[in-house]
Amino acid sequence: MLRITGGKVYDPANGINGEVRDICIADGKVVANVEGGRTIDANGMIVFPGGVDIHTHVAGAALNFARALTPENQRVAAKFMRTKDTRMGIGGQTPTTFATGYLYAGMGYTTVVEAAVPVLSAKHTHEELRDTPIVDKACCLLMGNNELVMDLLELGEYEKAKHTVAWLISAAKTYGIKAVNPGGVAAWKFGKDAKQIHSPIDGYNKVNPGTIIANLAKIVDELGLPHPMHLHCNNLGVPGNVSTTLETMKLLEGNRAHMAHLQFHAYGGDDWHTMRSESVQLAEYFNTHPNLTCDAGAVLFGNAVTITADGPWQHLLYQLTGRKWGNLDVENETGCGIVPYTYKGSNLVNAVQWAVGLELLLLINDPWRIFLTTDHPNGACFWRYPEIIHLLMHADIRRERVRALPEAALSRIYLADLDREYTLYEIAIITSAGPARALGMKQKGHLGVGADADIAIYNQNPDGELMFRYPRYVLKGGEVAVEEGEIRSTKDGHEFVCQPSYDEKIEDYLKPVFQQQYTMSFENYPVEAERVHGMQIAECSYKKPN
Amino acid sequence: MGGKVSCTLGEVKNRADFILYWGGNPAECHPRHFTKYTIMQKGKFLPEGRKGRTMVLVDIRETMSVKAADIFLQVRPGKDFEVVTALRALVKGNRVDTALVEETGLKLEQLQDLVDRMKRCKFGVIFFGMGMSMTRGKHMNSAALLTLAAEMNAFTKFVAMPMRGHGNVAGADMVLRWTTGYPFGVNLCRGFPRFNPGEFSTVDLLVRGDIDAAFVLGADPGATMPQPGIDTLARVPTIVLDPKVTHTSKLARVHITTSVTGISSPGTAYRMDEVPLPLRPVLKSPYPSDEEVVRRIIAAVEKKTAWLPLPATMASGVM
Repeated sequence: MLRITGGKVYDPANGINGEVRDICIADGKVVANVEGGRTIDANGMIVFPGGVDIHTHVAGAALNFARALTPENQRVAAKFMRTKDTRMGIGGQTPTTFATGYLYAGMGYTTVVEAAVPVLSAKHTHEELRDTPIVDKACCLLMGNNELVMDLLELGEYEKAKHTVAWLISAAKTYGIKAVNPGGVAAWKFGKDAKQIHSPIDGYNKVNPGTIIANLAKIVDELGLPHPMHLHCNNLGVPGNVSTTLETMKLLEGNRAHMAHLQFHAYGGDDWHTMRSESVQLAEYFNTHPNLTCDAGAVLFGNAVTITADGPWQHLLYQLTGRKWGNLDVENETGCGIVPYTYKGSNLVNAVQWAVGLELLLLINDPWRIFLTTDHPNGACFWRYPEIIHLLMHADIRRERVRALPEAALSRIYLADLDREYTLYEIAIITSAGPARALGMKQKGHLGVGADADIAIYNQNPDGELMFRYPRYVLKGGEVAVEEGEIRSTKDGHEFVCQPSYDEKIEDYLKPVFQQQYTMSFENYPVEAERVHGMQIAECSYKKPN
Repeated sequence: MGGKVSCTLGEVKNRADFILYWGGNPAECHPRHFTKYTIMQKGKFLPEGRKGRTMVLVDIRETMSVKAADIFLQVRPGKDFEVVTALRALVKGNRVDTALVEETGLKLEQLQDLVDRMKRCKFGVIFFGMGMSMTRGKHMNSAALLTLAAEMNAFTKFVAMPMRGHGNVAGADMVLRWTTGYPFGVNLCRGFPRFNPGEFSTVDLLVRGDIDAAFVLGADPGATMPQPGIDTLARVPTIVLDPKVTHTSKLARVHITTSVTGISSPGTAYRMDEVPLPLRPVLKSPYPSDEEVVRRIIAAVEKKTAWLPLPATMASGVM
């Protein structure tokens, strides 16, 4: 039992905006009242629901590939010493699993979503998540280039495709699905890409990226998954890609969708020399279409490692940078590419990218529909979120930073004209309440009675970066996990999965196809339930409004 | 710079119309490899199977795998790096000195023919074995070959993959990466991971005699290490966990017999393409599994007082 008293509470899901009130906790949940137990005096502090990261890459074959590919990053990264309670590890761009748990919790984040998991290596992802302490976890299954599904769509077998998707989600023990460069990664298997939404994908006559996007969004809604389709659009990172993004959004009318790392999809211009921000145009469309949510995928200057299932884009990035390139195509399902990258303030393209991420966060007027992410570790590392929060809260600091950009960048961005400054209430929305709602996690992202007692308590400070980087206390499941920068408890979190229902006869169809196209036996393909540590099955109860 | 451009084995099965083996002998060392994953399989885009694929073998001698190959290129020992470098130049259309090529035991026409075939294929794959990665030039050879595969993607689809073996070596590599950030050669003596192949790799530590105890699991270094390394294992307390008697167990102070993973105890093994496979026991064994023994050792170590005086907050921690 525990009582937090005297703190200013920011609980947007319950409309509480900075009121001083007590939060009571028993058995890991927020309750109406408690007698006795510890009291945390939060005078002069602010109380937030624990952070929820809706899109990050912290576990799995791709990230583990990146770790092996970049020992030079680990060499200079923060080290985690072994102690009585904590395991050794390394921070940096691709932190080790234990360090990932400590870093997220140490920043006040208590739930993270690993955004890209192939079925074939899902066992591996769950093993890594098992070794990621403190935080609760969920993951999205890569589905936009699954050939079993694409082949069914080619034959016009929508129902079968739907049951296949449901079967795959259940088999992989994931929470939702993600489509990455739909069709483009499948085409990359023969060195091609899919750049036109309405042109057939290499090797198909009927299926084009648009078919995949529209059908998957519909399937997710019909299966009642709590989180909408998570979508990484075609033409990521390419100048002029805003037209693809807008075309894609139009296809989604009538269904829910979550647009991942929107910053990377909001560019105008014809080439690298004329690239410019199209955040205004994109935000205008987005603001009037409430079926969509998005995360920022903001960029910060410095070292990053780009990791994505978008194989063809990574080949281009390798050619552009001349740096190392990792690629791993996953049979019949997806791909993965890795290129270390440095965002430079002096580089015109990078300057535009930096501005676009912030512009979208400022121009999309409903904070319940855009969430703070950097597409870790693509745009910047997750442990740099407080730097972005600080910029969102201060227009003058943003303008000062804009002045340091190359002259040529100034006419291509809108950032200097934007006066909006985020309030603490809005920060609580984009870091916790909003993503929790978009994920359909009712017990997360708020401090009402019955919520999971995942709470971040910060010393109030005008310097937002300092305030949000070093929480005074972090509670996870009602226990003090972090106190003044020190890990106090490393109790493992849960992993949320969905098990949408499907027609069991689909296995009779899948088995022979699988044995023809895969290289392991069908029985070995699904992830065993024992492998998922602290598994909690979430309900598939979403219903499309009439 | 290179990197690693690869795929899972199913992609090779479904798509690879050009398969190059370099410094490896899969017919004898990976006996199920040809039939299960590569040349003999019918794939989604290769309905003809073997007929639709070209197989090239590069090695220093004629092995059992030659019979399976369409083209065999015999390289002079120690000249792999030179051949790869010449290939990289030819791929880019650069001029290559005939005399230099001939030092490798091959002819320029042979290399040009190889490059033409590589560029013509739809999906090419290079598998490389220890005859490439562990001979003169070592990691430089692997890096050059991986870079060749990466650069080929400017012309057509190309990937490369090491022919890994030795039980679950890929699995050990994976777990080390997510727990320490590095794949091998990790030193934890300072309480956090450090990586330096050549300094902290097992072979270097053993040869230098830098260790004062050894714990050997799923390996038989007594059979493969250089003699000074084997001498170190015999000198220090060596503990071996193995289902059977091995060269290492014979020189060890302690040999704990364990059950065979995948036959008598469950677990996970990673294929050489880093795909995890569940292992299910089919027989019962009177012996404990490796995992059980390791857990019991950890529990016993946890009861001991710390060997270093630690600050109060750190007490006797075990990783």
